[in-house]
Amino acid sequence: MRRLAAVLSVVLVGYPLLVVSSTAVLALGAAALSLCALGILVAPPVLVGGMVLALGEYTLALWLADGPPRLAGAALLGVVLVLLLETADFGRRAHRATIGPGLFAAQLRSWAVVAALTGMGAWAAGAGASVASAAVRLPWAPAIAAAGVAVTLVAVALALSVRRLPPRD
Amino acid sequence: MTARLTPLVLSALTVGAWGLVLGVLSGRAELVVVVLPLLFGLLRIGGTGASRGWSLARVLSAPRVFEGERVTVTVTVSAGHRVPLLELFEPLPPTLRLVSGHNRGLFTLRPGRSVEWRYEVECVRRGRVNLGTVHARLWDRAGLEAAETSVRLPGQLSVYPRPLPLRRLPGPRRMQAFVGNYVAPSLGEGLEPGDIRAFVPGDRVRHVNWRASLRFGQLFVTQYHQERNADVVLMLDTLAEAGAAPDTTLDASIRAAAALATGYLARKDRVGLLEYCGPFRWVRPSSGRAHHERLFEALLRADVMFSYVTQEVALVPRRVLPPQALVVAISPLIDPRFEKALVDLAGRGFDLVVLSPSPIVLARRATRPSARADLACRLWALERRARADALERLGITIVDWDPAEPLEAALSGSSASRRRGAVR
Repeated sequence: MRRLAAVLSVVLVGYPLLVVSSTAVLALGAAALSLCALGILVAPPVLVGGMVLALGEYTLALWLADGPPRLAGAALLGVVLVLLLETADFGRRAHRATIGPGLFAAQLRSWAVVAALTGMGAWAAGAGASVASAAVRLPWAPAIAAAGVAVTLVAVALALSVRRLPPRD
Repeated sequence: MTARLTPLVLSALTVGAWGLVLGVLSGRAELVVVVLPLLFGLLRIGGTGASRGWSLARVLSAPRVFEGERVTVTVTVSAGHRVPLLELFEPLPPTLRLVSGHNRGLFTLRPGRSVEWRYEVECVRRGRVNLGTVHARLWDRAGLEAAETSVRLPGQLSVYPRPLPLRRLPGPRRMQAFVGNYVAPSLGEGLEPGDIRAFVPGDRVRHVNWRASLRFGQLFVTQYHQERNADVVLMLDTLAEAGAAPDTTLDASIRAAAALATGYLARKDRVGLLEYCGPFRWVRPSSGRAHHERLFEALLRADVMFSYVTQEVALVPRRVLPPQALVVAISPLIDPRFEKALVDLAGRGFDLVVLSPSPIVLARRATRPSARADLACRLWALERRARADALERLGITIVDWDPAEPLEAALSGSSASRRRGAVR
């Protein structure tokens, strides 16, 4: 499972290089890759640091390329982010453990479903937003986007903290 | 079983928030799209049922083993409902060492299915081991939430001390009245020929010594030595120990006691056990297979316990310490209270042999080598030698035993010295 996570981290770091190949992006990518590799082997917080750096690398690549939005690629990269987090976490749990029959297959099926659903959802949301933005021109668009982001994050955090899972036994 | 969110949720939120912030700062929609799968993924929280629809059963390949033997632990996990991901962990006590498989397992189960999980452990030290609790963690498929519980399962394992190979044992000087394997000085029914005397009415014809009768022209009969057993009391010093587990002086002493008990019982002797840990704990001398198990059970419990109580040997009942018994004391001779008890026993006229596993070798193995440690060990050896000499001057046989060497070699030296003592 760690190998799969390593492959995903290579994809995560390599995709921005396909957008634009520059020394700065390459340097950031190398740093992100080493952090991801260390995180897969040692501790999840280091992996999160590597992913944060990889997002920075992607931002830099997009800023340098300055072309039209590539939504399909972005959705694919988002799926890679989800899968990398989950496979690395599962790999850590499965390390030095007896793996029951059918577990890997079930896990792979689950990830495939998650990848398909979240990828399609992200792509659809992106496409919908593109269509809406072409039709509606909002004043102060960056401010509205920032407010939207803040509201989204607060809403997610509140949803997670307020959510009361029923006691099970 | 209460479910809780895992640190993975915080990781996803951190990456998502960073992506959104970067998106706003750079004004690129791709960054928002990148983090959308992460945020969509969080919608799975609470979607999986973490109910306790599963059960565990554990079987050990053998409930009673000797030190160094291996035991296969089989845990069967059965599910009534669908179990997405079940993590099981069995913490192993320090007396067990994992040799194959893992003591942690991850399983997925469909309703009505069961899975067997096996691992093998080596029992490195004697004792009663309770595998006891299995810790379970029920995850959802994504690993975003987990519920924990513990299940107590019966899993008692008795690890008996490994008896050391032993053929020669210190022979007793005094015998008992029952039939055994020792040739007694007294004459009677037996196999070992003794003296010859003139025939008297009532003697059995098959005891007539025809060669002597023909030579002297009158009937002579051969007398035979009786074959008797002996009472042996193993006296174990549990006042102090040296070295690191599983190779402490107490471990070596208990292995030696197990070997001696097995050897003497095989010779039809009555064997008792006297554990001196300040107060006395004992097993009365007896023989037979049931008694063998009783002795091993007592050895299983033997451990060093600090106590302010110091009992005198005089308090031990005669049934436990018969006056004619051979007392084999097994002690590293660390605590002076045990030496006092030995002097007391010797003063009461007991046939006494002290088997002393050397604590110096074991303590040295447990410490980092240094010039200071070398010097300390040399001084310790000198002090130990002086103590042993003082006891030997009282007529007590001291057998110094390096636990790294075979017990047989140490005891063979003692047999010769005891014979010399007997001749004197």
